[in-house]
Amino acid sequence: MRGGALPGALLCVALGLGLASAREKTVVLGLAVLVVTASAIALAPVPQSWSDIVFLGCWISIIASAAIVYAPWTLEDKAALALSLNGGVWTGALIALAPSKLGLIHALPFSLCTWPGAWARRRGEAIGLKVLASWLIGVAALAATLQFLPATPGYGPDHMD
Amino acid sequence: MTRRIAGTSQEGPSAPRPGLFSAATALPIVFGAAAVTPAYAHSGTGLADGFESGFSHPLTGVDHLLAMVSVGIWGAFLGRPLVYALPVIFPLIMVGGAILGMFSLPMPPVELGIAASVLILGLCICLAIQAPVWIACAIVAIFAVFHGYAHGVELPSAADPVGYSVGFVLATGLLHVLGIGIGLLNALPTGVLVTRSLGGAVVVAGAWYLAGALGL
Repeated sequence: MRGGALPGALLCVALGLGLASAREKTVVLGLAVLVVTASAIALAPVPQSWSDIVFLGCWISIIASAAIVYAPWTLEDKAALALSLNGGVWTGALIALAPSKLGLIHALPFSLCTWPGAWARRRGEAIGLKVLASWLIGVAALAATLQFLPATPGYGPDHMD
Repeated sequence: MTRRIAGTSQEGPSAPRPGLFSAATALPIVFGAAAVTPAYAHSGTGLADGFESGFSHPLTGVDHLLAMVSVGIWGAFLGRPLVYALPVIFPLIMVGGAILGMFSLPMPPVELGIAASVLILGLCICLAIQAPVWIACAIVAIFAVFHGYAHGVELPSAADPVGYSVGFVLATGLLHVLGIGIGLLNALPTGVLVTRSLGGAVVVAGAWYLAGALGL
């Protein structure tokens, strides 16, 4: 009950937005690294006991990748590739833990948002990316906290009651 | 804090321009909506309930809804950079407030804070207050903590955490975008009158909530 392909898809969106500030050749290479790494790890036997660590790694990676959107400079090649490798590791691990490997097909295409993102940056309209990145950071922070909360406050009376 | 009337020749470079909103606001909506698609495609995870529960949570309280839409409308009045900065700040700080609420950390009376937020944000729109960037950010951030806290302490246990988080943040963000969209009316000849009148209505609602919170 932990979201199926959704966490991986969110990570791919965050990675795509982060890569939007890299050089175009590096973006292509980065996406290739993402696909290869994620596919390899998705097929690997990841123990279910690693679940908490994998999800935490996913949320931290989403925050780190989305935060790059706020950087005014071009992302360096090595940093972009490291980011892609990191994204691939956690996306693959998430899918390896999921009941179906088909989640990979659902998640990876979201990384293609890097091209509309790069287009928006070139047009000087990166603010749309920043708004989206803030939402992703919010989701990741909330989901990471919920992961460590043994019981949510529940259906108590609303503050309007 | 200075006051001036938006929609006049005194607006200057910070005034909202309709062209700004095309691609910039479309990207979060398109990607945000696209990002939740697998929630429905992947059956058996309980994700739809989580997403729906999270998405509907900010929409169920009229006070929250008014405050979040008001942030967007006020941002449209303030123009760049606040028209975009406020919708970035509010969800982020609100998540921080929600985390405080989840752990039930002590806070000043939340009802008062929320009622005050509706009242003050309504006043900011009604009076077309042009606050400096840091003051506007501080006002919105403080109110975001109260709203987030209220959401956090009411968090349902049954929701799927990931789907719930996506729905919760997405609904909040879209309410801001709705407010910015309403703020686009400022570009029309009588648009400023309409948006400021809406601000007046929000003030009345805020005063009502504040009276209720104070037990009057």
